Amino acid sequence: MVMNWKPNPFAILGLAMLSAPIIAQAKIYVSAEQAQKILFPNKQLTKAPILVTDDLQERMRLASSIRYPFQGDRIWKAADGSWLIIDEVVGKHEMITYAVGIAPNGSILGIEILEYVESYGYEVAEAHWRQQFAGKTVKDPIKLNQDIQNIGGATLSCKHLTDGVKRVLVFYDLALKAK
Amino acid sequence: MIMRCQALLGTFVEISTNQDDSQALDKGFAAVKQIQDLMAFHCPLSELSQINRWAHQVPLKIHSWTAQVLRIAQEVHKQSNGLFNCGVGHRLVSAGLLPRHIHLSKCQLGGIEDVHFLDSELITSPKPLCLDLGGIAKGFAVDKAVESLMADGIKSGCVNAGGDLRVFGQSPRSIYIRNQIAPMELIDIGSLQNGAIATSSLYFANRDQQQSHIINPFAPDESEAHIHFSGSYSILANECVYADALTKVLALSSALNHPCLNHFSAQAIRIAA
Repeated sequence: MVMNWKPNPFAILGLAMLSAPIIAQAKIYVSAEQAQKILFPNKQLTKAPILVTDDLQERMRLASSIRYPFQGDRIWKAADGSWLIIDEVVGKHEMITYAVGIAPNGSILGIEILEYVESYGYEVAEAHWRQQFAGKTVKDPIKLNQDIQNIGGATLSCKHLTDGVKRVLVFYDLALKAK
Repeated sequence: MIMRCQALLGTFVEISTNQDDSQALDKGFAAVKQIQDLMAFHCPLSELSQINRWAHQVPLKIHSWTAQVLRIAQEVHKQSNGLFNCGVGHRLVSAGLLPRHIHLSKCQLGGIEDVHFLDSELITSPKPLCLDLGGIAKGFAVDKAVESLMADGIKSGCVNAGGDLRVFGQSPRSIYIRNQIAPMELIDIGSLQNGAIATSSLYFANRDQQQSHIINPFAPDESEAHIHFSGSYSILANECVYADALTKVLALSSALNHPCLNHFSAQAIRIAA
């Protein structure tokens, strides 16, 4: 099959700006439930929330470069000692929700991105900005544009996510390993 | 529409399709992961790091995919009269854009043209190398993921590695590019079916106050090596590996009708800032 490219004539003239500026671009990839099936295809997981004490919070903060608190309510456990942890990384320009699957021996089984919300300026780091996205679903797109799927262009760096995964592993070491 | 995303190759890789086949998608991501393991400059144990460390001393047996990427890199190097050259890793290391794993010798480093194939998967080099495949491996990974998905019976879909993407099958997709002047806006540049598009722009480098990663291989020294430009350069091609590599030829030459593009049946798009 041959390539078929239909340029947007307005883009060529430089007129193809979207009429309404997009405040935030959001990509919702998979739900927490789907992430469980992807990372643990044949395992039964049960929710195992952990109360994250101030002391634990502080120790995690010291061991990773992330300052905002870790939420302990999105943790699941399998009978064999595997864990699934969902966390977020919040950068200056983006918020990424991701799931980490941890094997009984503490090694990472896989990492799957659940959501990616991109914004411009510094508002992402503010708690009230993030709040509006908390608990959102695909059916509830507040100020989000999800129709735009194929964005070409400069490569985004995923280095923030690396910091996030480090924090999840610190949390596993401090709070889950012994359980 | 199933759309999944994993962090690979230092960026976010998305695979989307209409067929809910988790295993096929897993294998698509695994192909990208394998290219990361083979060709990451960041990883001291990658095959690329071994090449940079040893190729001037001993013949090295390399994976068929690494060999393929090196051959394509040489082909584009030749057709662009040397404008595309992966032998610029040391420039990116000096600028702090890549990690310093190996001691770079003071002697003259070679370029991609110095890689000699003793047989199809055995290479050597007369000079020490500091190759960085960052300008080509992402596109190659997109192609390998697409091949894997198609082999597993996925009829149509899209693989997007941080902005370098390929659409396959019957369904055309709208393609958006960031507007460099007003970054919260995206420009709908057209619709693509069965083809790839890659883009070079310094949008994120400028935003994050990083040095330009577009390197002129002919620059005599550090100070002239990093090329600055505004706007973005995109290349449309049948395969993403060529689209990815050719964006550097376009960004360095700013020639929308560079003969090299025609040779690879590629088209150029410039979005002015």
